[in-house]
Amino acid sequence: MTDDETTDGRGFPSDTGSDEDGSGDRAGDTEAVGATDRHTRRRVLALGGAAGAAALAGCSAERTNDDEGAGDGAGSDGEGGGAGGDTSEGDDGGDDETPTLTVATYTNFIDAPSVSPGEWLKEEFESRFDATLEWATPDNEINYYVERAQSGVGIDADVYVGFNTEDLVRVDSELDDELFAEAGDIDGAEDVRDGLSFDPFGRAVPFDTGYVSLVYDGTETEAPATFEGLLDPEHAGALIAQNPGSSATGRAFLLHTVNRFGDGPDGTVEGEDGDPDYDYLDYWADLQANDVRVLGSWDDAYTAWSNGEAPMVVSYSTDQVFADMEGANLEEHQIRFVNDQAYATPEGMAVFAETDTPDLAREFMSFMLDPEVQGEIAQRNVAFPATDTATLPDDYAELAQEPADPVTFTYDELRGSVGEWIEAWERQFVGN
Amino acid sequence: MSDRDRRSDGSRSLPDRLEGRLLTLLAVATSATLVVAFYYPVATVLIEAVRVDGGVSLGAFAEILRDPFYFGEAARLFAGESPTAVARDLVSPDRRLGIVGFTAYQAALSTVASVALGLPAAYLLARFEFPGRRTIRSLTIVPFVLPSIMVAVGFVATFGRNGTLNAVLGALGLPAVDLLFTLEAIVIAHAFYNAPLVARVTTAAWESVDAGAVETARSLGAGPVRAFVDVVAPQVYPAVLTGAALTFVFTFGTFPIVLALGGFQLATVEVFVYRLVRDLSYAEAAALAIIELVISLGVLLAYLRYEAQSAVRSRGARPLPRKPLLPSTPTVREWVSRVGLAAYVAVAAVVFLAPIASMILASVTGGDGALTLEHYRFLAARQRTAAAFQVRPWPAIRNSLGFAVGATLLALPMGVVVAVLTTRRYRGRKLVDAAAMAPLAVSGIVVGLGLLRGLVFGVEVAGWRVTASGAVAIVVAHAVAGYPFVVRTVAPGLEALDRSLVESARALGASRARALRDVELPLVWPAVVAGAAFAFAISIGEFTATVVLATGADAYTMPIAIERFIGRRLGPATAMGVVLLVVTGCSFVVIERLGGESRGL
Repeated sequence: MTDDETTDGRGFPSDTGSDEDGSGDRAGDTEAVGATDRHTRRRVLALGGAAGAAALAGCSAERTNDDEGAGDGAGSDGEGGGAGGDTSEGDDGGDDETPTLTVATYTNFIDAPSVSPGEWLKEEFESRFDATLEWATPDNEINYYVERAQSGVGIDADVYVGFNTEDLVRVDSELDDELFAEAGDIDGAEDVRDGLSFDPFGRAVPFDTGYVSLVYDGTETEAPATFEGLLDPEHAGALIAQNPGSSATGRAFLLHTVNRFGDGPDGTVEGEDGDPDYDYLDYWADLQANDVRVLGSWDDAYTAWSNGEAPMVVSYSTDQVFADMEGANLEEHQIRFVNDQAYATPEGMAVFAETDTPDLAREFMSFMLDPEVQGEIAQRNVAFPATDTATLPDDYAELAQEPADPVTFTYDELRGSVGEWIEAWERQFVGN
Repeated sequence: MSDRDRRSDGSRSLPDRLEGRLLTLLAVATSATLVVAFYYPVATVLIEAVRVDGGVSLGAFAEILRDPFYFGEAARLFAGESPTAVARDLVSPDRRLGIVGFTAYQAALSTVASVALGLPAAYLLARFEFPGRRTIRSLTIVPFVLPSIMVAVGFVATFGRNGTLNAVLGALGLPAVDLLFTLEAIVIAHAFYNAPLVARVTTAAWESVDAGAVETARSLGAGPVRAFVDVVAPQVYPAVLTGAALTFVFTFGTFPIVLALGGFQLATVEVFVYRLVRDLSYAEAAALAIIELVISLGVLLAYLRYEAQSAVRSRGARPLPRKPLLPSTPTVREWVSRVGLAAYVAVAAVVFLAPIASMILASVTGGDGALTLEHYRFLAARQRTAAAFQVRPWPAIRNSLGFAVGATLLALPMGVVVAVLTTRRYRGRKLVDAAAMAPLAVSGIVVGLGLLRGLVFGVEVAGWRVTASGAVAIVVAHAVAGYPFVVRTVAPGLEALDRSLVESARALGASRARALRDVELPLVWPAVVAGAAFAFAISIGEFTATVVLATGADAYTMPIAIERFIGRRLGPATAMGVVLLVVTGCSFVVIERLGGESRGL
């Protein structure tokens, strides 16, 4: 995941970038998971006499098809947008033209102030395959496609790139029909490292991962080696974290504490600390008593940390890669893996069940797992490759650090729990 | 009657009839626009609060109302406990406000702070003459358009532990203050946004006070204080309340800035609406948003009732003469007011100028702390080399200006027609007025989701799916968001106008539209210009609707560009923020120059 994270300017739930993260699921109903029929979509654009005027008014009308539903191109970057519907769908352009693959992702995957893999991936894919790749970056990210499915307007993309376990849990508990198809045979999938695959139903294939750890200013403090160390008076007011309800890093850190301390005697997680009477909420009460700051988003926290409001911040373990890029003093960008652990946040991709180019979509997924592409994604998204065959510069690991003991919850552990953990935390932490 | 006579008769009556109907036509068009671009989209979301498995249920509301987490001690009232027991606990020191109670509390504090910081500015701008006055008046509105992330950057750099304020205090030998992550920081940030609103609205009203009325009072023996209390204050007071009511509503729905400068322990209602929408828990999110909306609309309605009662009839025409900054007659009273203003300017410099200056400084500071133009070079490089699907600065500027001009031109007639309709006398007009103000009071998160469902996904009509997105949809959405400002600045002036002026015009044969254009609007012109500036500002700063409706890379605006450029380094985003600052600052100056200071009569 890219570390150039953002939140929105004035308060829309753009999960934009920042938190290309997920959110909690609401304990949901179970559902049958399996292969879904793949429809081909045909779309008929209105070309009647009123079309010109309608296009001017920013309106478009499309004939809807009873069992298929047609989409329009909202959120599809790079197609000119503006007035009128889109004409970007794979088979719209006529039979002779090269097929188009629409890949949906979060904005920072294709557009970030430092580096982002989107442009390279598009050029490389188009040079290897006789196809056009179009990026779509709807503001609500994966929720946008849940909305589309629920509103019955069809899915206007072929592949989604960049969702995590909690996103998948949420999607599954909201939708009765499958949003994603099973990945099936993907070349390179066998190279994915152990422990990164997070979809028990075989739809999502991981393409990179990050680790959420502490980043600290070594000229100001020495971060503690354990969670208990953060409660030391020496570190009073020294840590800035993020709201787990709206930030990927904040959520990962909270989940890490759940993993460490468990969720209580009635809960489902037995903490690694082995003390059933001390759960993550007890730990957070102590952390709050030691003046931890919980801000809204990753940028809020990183901005405050950069200005010296506190010497430690919850962030990604790739922090030094950026610091090095900017010529900053690495002493001020130290990484601490608490208890030698960090919470792993693998990112997955999957084919939309409704795609009309399933073969091309699967070729794209294989392409993403190619050793050279894996190396480029890791470097340009400032993350770690998902496969163990990635081509990376020898010195990559010097700045991008991996924990000895990565921690993460499985799909089944998160399903039905993560929402409750966050809500219980909110209710305890809020002061009013 | 000959044919020719009939023809000429017909050709005269058609425009007349049209003109006679103009207001009606405008009213119908305005209502249609609001239904399509606001009420229907928002309804698609809010309906989720009561829709449960195909049936209707108020369960989501009951749950929230009885939850002490949201309603504190008051939740026990809703749960059926005795009011006296609850009242006893409410006055005890360890009472719980709940999220809703705390949100109202911080909004009330923010309103007081905004009025306290806005009124002196209005006094200064409306009553004094000094070089650059008009430019400064135009620029007062600038804080209003800044994205919250920019304000957060400015505030951390100004009020933080290592910020400018502490550096100054340290240099003066004073103890450092720890303002960040407190309620005070939030209140000051809200004042940064909203005091300009109070100042701008009040200045417009103050400038509309008729000098003749004051002179009459003085000639009848009233002293300057008496003349102010009896003549000026009643005309300015409603505008102050307008600013206060709007400030309360905005700060009640505040969101990103609270978590950026305060922290989660100070979370407001909107924080939870955001989280619930993001978790796709629509029933609870919608119920919470409706409760938020009811409270905001309740405040607006209470204000509107007051506004109607307190209207003062005036024939306002000739403005009061402005005083020089240096008094011509050095009396004690003259000097006291100048010293007070000087103190105010010092405070305003800390609250308004320092954060903006810090933001500008951040845009020219490199990673090593030295001054650099590298962030502006980044913008230039982006413009040259960005891929087609990436955001470039110039199209963002162009789109922002284009949308803002379009939205302002649309919001002005919408706002004026609603102002006219709501200042007529009929039962329930205040309810109509409050409903017309709803775009200010509905959760921005709900509006965004509604526009996605209602416009981008569209509606199915007879086998056709009609959708709307792109530039025109953005302009309409911006106009809907901005027109309430036009109503709120223009309506009090129209209400205060002497009815006999309009009646005379009508008696002389002018249509209602003609009387409005030739008589009423010129008399409240400063308010119209202020409303236009607000509509423009709302459009420039708008993010929610824009990002949903911008279907392609070519419909993004400056706030979206800023958001894209946010990264580990503050530079690129703050450089774009400064571009936004300069572009909008210049625009406001131009708007007010175009608006002029001329009055009718």
